[in-house]
Amino acid sequence: MILTLAWCLPLLGALLLAFVPRWSESGARICGIIVAALSLAMLVWAWFGFDPDGPLFQHVLEVPWVPSIGVAYRVGVDGIALAVATMSALVFLAAIAYPADTRGQSRQPDAHQYYAWMLFLMATSLAVFLVLDLLLFYVFFDLSLVGMYFLIGRWGHGKPQLSALTFFLFTFAGSLALLLGIIGLYLSLDTPSFDMRLIIEQRPLADGGLYAGLVFLGLMLGLAIKTPLVPLHTWLPQAHVDAPGPASAILAGVLLKMGTYGMVRLPLAMLPDTFERYALVVGIIALVAILYGALVALGQRNLKRRIAYTSINHMGYTVLGIAVAASFSDNLAAKQLALTGATVEMVAHGLITGALFLICGSFWQRTGEYDLDYYGGLAHQAPLLTGLTVLVAFASLGMPGLAGFVAEFQIFAGTFAVYPWLAVLAVLGILITAGLFLDLLRRLFFGSLPVHLGQFTELNRVEVVVLSVLGLGIVIIGVYPSFLLEVIDGASALLIGGR
Amino acid sequence: MTLWIVPLLPVLAAPLIYLSGRRGGRVWATLLALLAVVAVTSMVALAIANDWRGNYALNSILVLQLGLTPLSRIVALAVPVIALPILLFAGFHERPPLGRLLAIMVAFVGAMELLILAKDLLTLLVGWELIGACSWALVSHHWQDENASGNAIQTFIVTRFGDLGLYIAAAAVFAGSGGFGYQHLSGLDSGLMQVAAAGILLAAMAKSAQVPFSAWLFAAMSGPAPVSALLHAATLVAAGFYLLARLQPLLAEVAWLMPAIIVIGLTTALTGGLVSLVQGHAKKLLAASTSAQYGLMWVAVGAGYPGVAILHFLAHGFFKAGLFLVTGVAERQTGSYRLADMRLGSRLPIIALFSGILALALAGLAPLGAAWTKEQIVSVAYETSPWLALGVALAGGLSAIYATRFQLAMFGRSHRREQSSPQINWAEYLAVGGLATLTLLLSVFWWPEAQSWLRWGLGLPRIDSHRWLLVLSLILVVLGIILGVALIRRGQPVMQQSWMRSAARWWELVPLTRGVGDTTVRLGVSLARFDTDVMEKATRALVARTTRTALGLARSDDEIVDASLRGSASSVTWMARFSATFGEPLSYRLPSALSGLIRRGGGWARKAQTGQTHHYYAGIAIGFAILLIILLLGDAL
Repeated sequence: MILTLAWCLPLLGALLLAFVPRWSESGARICGIIVAALSLAMLVWAWFGFDPDGPLFQHVLEVPWVPSIGVAYRVGVDGIALAVATMSALVFLAAIAYPADTRGQSRQPDAHQYYAWMLFLMATSLAVFLVLDLLLFYVFFDLSLVGMYFLIGRWGHGKPQLSALTFFLFTFAGSLALLLGIIGLYLSLDTPSFDMRLIIEQRPLADGGLYAGLVFLGLMLGLAIKTPLVPLHTWLPQAHVDAPGPASAILAGVLLKMGTYGMVRLPLAMLPDTFERYALVVGIIALVAILYGALVALGQRNLKRRIAYTSINHMGYTVLGIAVAASFSDNLAAKQLALTGATVEMVAHGLITGALFLICGSFWQRTGEYDLDYYGGLAHQAPLLTGLTVLVAFASLGMPGLAGFVAEFQIFAGTFAVYPWLAVLAVLGILITAGLFLDLLRRLFFGSLPVHLGQFTELNRVEVVVLSVLGLGIVIIGVYPSFLLEVIDGASALLIGGR
Repeated sequence: MTLWIVPLLPVLAAPLIYLSGRRGGRVWATLLALLAVVAVTSMVALAIANDWRGNYALNSILVLQLGLTPLSRIVALAVPVIALPILLFAGFHERPPLGRLLAIMVAFVGAMELLILAKDLLTLLVGWELIGACSWALVSHHWQDENASGNAIQTFIVTRFGDLGLYIAAAAVFAGSGGFGYQHLSGLDSGLMQVAAAGILLAAMAKSAQVPFSAWLFAAMSGPAPVSALLHAATLVAAGFYLLARLQPLLAEVAWLMPAIIVIGLTTALTGGLVSLVQGHAKKLLAASTSAQYGLMWVAVGAGYPGVAILHFLAHGFFKAGLFLVTGVAERQTGSYRLADMRLGSRLPIIALFSGILALALAGLAPLGAAWTKEQIVSVAYETSPWLALGVALAGGLSAIYATRFQLAMFGRSHRREQSSPQINWAEYLAVGGLATLTLLLSVFWWPEAQSWLRWGLGLPRIDSHRWLLVLSLILVVLGIILGVALIRRGQPVMQQSWMRSAARWWELVPLTRGVGDTTVRLGVSLARFDTDVMEKATRALVARTTRTALGLARSDDEIVDASLRGSASSVTWMARFSATFGEPLSYRLPSALSGLIRRGGGWARKAQTGQTHHYYAGIAIGFAILLIILLLGDAL
């Protein structure tokens, strides 16, 4: 019941905001914040009620829907889903609370629709992580595309319609491949059913063969476009640049996680033997994403594009951890470490890059410019902004004591035990990431203040509060990660060891 | 009591120091900073006395452990002790607001302690990376200066490249043993142990600014003088050497490690010494000297005597920190660090005296403690090979030359008439004087009782000292001093020869390091251009093509449907016209034709009624005949 409430409350809030007339902008925002906070509270409550040593899926609810096809309303979480869903709820709350891009325009009359779409997107995104039914998974996976399409298309800047269309077409094409894979999984059972737990237990495609390979390809193709993995990543940069700040935060913080979460939930859990055969290939693709993403980010002059490419780099680490977890090796401890690391990277990256994109939104609100050469010397003008950006940037480059290190260290330690060369090359990623972030900080905040930035205002109270909450989360996960690790470790042990 | 309080106390005190500094004053912030470090020192002393441990489990595999060993005790005590005068200096030398500077320096002390006390590679890595971050933050203290922030990036990136080695080493240990503790190093199988050793060596090389990573230390000189004193002389650079000293017994099975350490150390000592000879920037001279002196410590570790190296680290920490603070004072007087502009002897006589003591320690002149430690290094080098001992002695001679050059250039007799009064305050005197006094106090090392106490306390093995070796080395030192005086008398080297110019750039390592960074950025830019121009354009082209195809299909679809609609409309029109022009007339022409025929038939019928009987008879007969014929032919029809 808690999980159903967690994703239904935002949906109800969205309907309320969309169809009840006469919302003021601040009223709509407060309604959005309250609903999002309630949803987050549900997930935190679920967290407290979660038993790390218990069965894989907990808080399960099953309501029969169409028994003849095998579709039912099934929700349930394991440690990985719970961690990612809670992080998503927190990022949504932060994005809704953050001042929306207005850029000097007068209060937008359709602000309530913006918050309605945000809550709709929150509902569908949380549902992706919470459902245990493949068909529902696919439905919510695609509905989230709809939500993001409208958020970018209607409230974006630059060339929003084109970016939104590219984003939608590309990821939707991927999800069609995903659908083929799902149908393949569905049909492979003796009595076809969409129940994820059934497929995980029975492992119908354990013999492998061409059919299993094709299903695996379909699933991975769809998920690789969502993650995104090089070379299927080209929808990401423009979508990020043209989206409003909070929407970018959600795109990077939540939507990208659907791809990697899907990789854990679908191929890893349901097709372990096939994944094992192709684990090295996936690992190499992940390595390419790591290095290519970091290098291209280094070469960007546009602030938002730079951070967009670091998302590709970080998701590369996650996929590397997942590939190692799927690989053929008898070092179970290493594989479990890699999977735990991949999940912590999902959580950490959500908070970190979410905060970074919110900061980008703050920059755009004040100047309308993303070009790094436009800025400089802001450390004295906006010390709080500087301090928070430094914190989040160091978290992103993997500084110990902050969230990113816990994840990346585990991924490297696990990868080296299985694929040593991949690990040796992958660590170069954190070096390049360090370079690009320090360069970013230098160009934004250090040096001399140009004349046109004389009126640059410091962060306002709301921005400070939201970013500090995210920053606090990042520090807590970095310094005291055991509350997160104990929830995830149980799930990764069962997923790895359950063979 | 847990050992965690030692690293955590300064880290938690740092925000308080930052806040107290924001109010603007220097007194409270400096006082708080000194208090914090004094507290750390006493905590370390207590920890040593009571053998504290520390343990923090993240989960079942990732466990952070802290502990002390006999050698690490000295280092753990030395770091806060060295930090005390430096913090005092920083508080009264740098311009307010000082909150950030002092807070990060204190936090750095905590991170350094974490590194020293670590008992496993994960904790080590945490402390290792944190000191790198503190270094970046401190070097970019003067962030308005365009160069400073760029140099800070260089220091962070070069040292982080070495850190990657530690990541891999930790991963290798985990792969071989399932844990990260130092104790697991000795039990690894050969391949993994080689990897771990290589990773650790790489990390140590980068952090200790050994060849070929020495250029970052030059870049780090953009930071304030107290920062250079604390980080880049006494502590952060020591981390690399400390790591090797700590782990050397566990890695004894790796055959190539010790020789590699010796080669790297000796190369750095000799080349660094030559660089210092020709450097005209006071801080960079000291930076190259730092690399060189750590090279000597590396030689000692490679020879198998980490204890000796640690004693030299202690002595070096005191005198090098003091020398850096002296350059800070000098810079305040003249506005730059150029040695050619200095000659401040008559303006700052007391500082000149302190500096003289420190410079003599750098030169290695007995009976200063630093000289004894250096001689110990020569002795242990001799145990490996006489040539090595000679090399070390030569490096010592080189340091004598440039130490003398430094001292005389800074405080020699000047031809200027001294007009202005010195800009110096009591805290700076106290700080420099304190370090000079500590350097003097270390002269007890020459005392045999102290030596045996050290041996007992540190577990140092007895080293055979050869008197002739000692004499030779001291002769080299004295020669060096004389050469240094001669160099100064002749005037500053005017960099006429190209080898001098190259040496001043750390034998081209400075441009090389910058070049690697620039190449990587250029690679990133071209990949970015490729991504935008090729890949994104391909995607957009695909989208555009899809849109165009869709539009085209829509148009053709429209045309077909339209055509059929129009076709049906026009066929209906045609049918209507046809009906109107042909149908209608046809439809009334048919009945009228029929009625015409009937009329005609009626006319004929009337015509048959002639009234003539013979016509009626003829008709009946013909009809009768036709009937007969039909009846006769009945069957056939």
